[in-house]
Amino acid sequence: MRFSDTMLGAMLLILGIAVTAYARTLPAVPGQQYGAAAFPTLIGVGFVCCALILLVQGLKARSVPLVSFTEWTRQPGALVAVGVTILCIVAYMLLARRVGFIPVSVAILVVLFRLLSVSWGKTIFFAVAATLVTDYVFRSLLLVPLPFGMMPRMPW
Amino acid sequence: MDAIIQAFELVFTWPVMTTILGAALFGLLVGAVPGLTATMATALLVPLTFFMDPIPAVGAMVTCAAMAIFAGDIPGALLRIPGTPASAAYTHEAYAMTRKGEAETALGACVLFSAIGGLFGTAVLIFAAPTLAEFALNFSSQEYFWMAMLGLTCSAFIGSPSPIKGLVSLLIGLLVATVGLNNAAGVPRFTFGSTDLMAGIDFIPAMIGLFAVSEVFRTVAAGAPAWDNVQVKVGNIFRNWGGMVVTYWRQQLRGNVTGTAIGILPGAGADVAAYVSYAVSRRFSKTPEKYGTGHLEGVVEATSSNNASLSSAWVPALVFGIPGDTITAIVIGVLYVKGLNPGPTLFIFNPQLIYAVFLIFLLANLLMIPLGWLVIKLARGLLRTPRSILMPIILIFCIVGAFASNNAVYGIIIMLVFGILGFFMEENEIPIAPCILGIVIGPILEHNFITTMIKSDGSFITFVDRPIAAVLAVGLFLIWASVLYRAFQSRGAAAS
Repeated sequence: MRFSDTMLGAMLLILGIAVTAYARTLPAVPGQQYGAAAFPTLIGVGFVCCALILLVQGLKARSVPLVSFTEWTRQPGALVAVGVTILCIVAYMLLARRVGFIPVSVAILVVLFRLLSVSWGKTIFFAVAATLVTDYVFRSLLLVPLPFGMMPRMPW
Repeated sequence: MDAIIQAFELVFTWPVMTTILGAALFGLLVGAVPGLTATMATALLVPLTFFMDPIPAVGAMVTCAAMAIFAGDIPGALLRIPGTPASAAYTHEAYAMTRKGEAETALGACVLFSAIGGLFGTAVLIFAAPTLAEFALNFSSQEYFWMAMLGLTCSAFIGSPSPIKGLVSLLIGLLVATVGLNNAAGVPRFTFGSTDLMAGIDFIPAMIGLFAVSEVFRTVAAGAPAWDNVQVKVGNIFRNWGGMVVTYWRQQLRGNVTGTAIGILPGAGADVAAYVSYAVSRRFSKTPEKYGTGHLEGVVEATSSNNASLSSAWVPALVFGIPGDTITAIVIGVLYVKGLNPGPTLFIFNPQLIYAVFLIFLLANLLMIPLGWLVIKLARGLLRTPRSILMPIILIFCIVGAFASNNAVYGIIIMLVFGILGFFMEENEIPIAPCILGIVIGPILEHNFITTMIKSDGSFITFVDRPIAAVLAVGLFLIWASVLYRAFQSRGAAAS
């Protein structure tokens, strides 16, 4: 998904104004001219300047639509695929603690492999193998406390 | 001398050597797969380095990055898809050589001149860094402020097709860096009442998101198309190495020097070096008409250049704590985690660690020749690994890696947000590198700005009343002036 210069400029303008306005609310350091607000203000002003340049460029070019779809987004299923991938990550955040790393990881891999039309045999093999290897490397070698959830500890 | 002996003792141990070997293979594999960059290889390695001692951790990153930059040449030559952006400058040329049946010459030259380039950059690092560090001991907050500004300017303007989009990316990075309590006044900024955000945005999950997760999104969206089958047979890559060195010594040396200079500049890295060197080579060539038709000359110069810049990018990183490119930006993060605060004092208090890093650089570039040969032999099989299997597994690594950075789901949230941000930025041709450098350099810039202002009681003259600071300021204004001049010139040309 591609935004035109006008659209990008408008978004950055809002962001820049918001950042500057927020920065103005930060308390000053007594006796000092520059405190916590100085930098965010400069950044906000920077965004506004870039936004204005982009807006001018965009308005000059005029004929470009505000939002256009790049080549791949027009392919059927492309946006759905990105959406599913994001949902997989969100599902991990919500479920891993309760259900455990191994089942959630296998599930995510199965969903994504199937989405990319990997055959069922390969899907099952790679999903289970990759999960167990990751579990071994991170939990046992690197001592990362991956959530167990309802799974018993693997023999390693 | 003691420090050098200690450095040998630190490096030549089994754990360090096996780590280096493992990291080298990992770097070669990641670099050889199109779409996976050297920066991504380094970012994926970070969660593993948490659990290592400082020397193997740094060694792993050095080796991995050097190998990945070289390995990016392999799919470039065989498929015309650069493995890493640093190979993009001469991919067309190398592929044209493959089409003429000279794949082994092209790849042989890539291995040989990458290794020589890396060694040259390392030599400069070894001799220049300690001298510069002594010099840098005189630096105060003013000089660091200008160094940081120089880094930000180079990252936004050099090598970015649209300076304005480079600047937007940089501002995003700087904004991210302001989140949290970590500022001179100790005021929580942009935390919106969240305790997690108080500590600021964790750099490592952000990196993983920007470089790895965004690439997973792109591949998934495109339905993970397979690469064209590689039909090329690669013969003996060692053929005619002596002849190449004799014929192209001029190009090699010029590439090494250009690459090293660009690497030392804070903020500009291997991809910029390769583009500049390829252009320089063509400009000074006796046979510029042969460029683009499968001519070795440009390949030699550019591949010498990108590896040289990779080593010399460590000069500003170690001496000033200001990253020379995205890879050293990640490394600086790791150095802080390991308690090795980069800066001139590192050279005084822990010289053995610095020498150990130098040794690892030399080892990595020497290892490149045998391992490079091995990977070229395996390249056909490697390029047949379908992306549809690779990418979901990379996503799981990303999730676990982001979680491992502080053992909390917060890391995964950051990773996801930055993954989407990186994806959106790439879609709109906003470069990612300035954003990363903004995140790393932002706090340095702000800290030194505020410190200087407090010291001078709000007077701006202090920024230029020390000689080194004044020179740095003038240099910076010259860069800005040239950017503006070019912008106006191109506008004038477009109008007429």
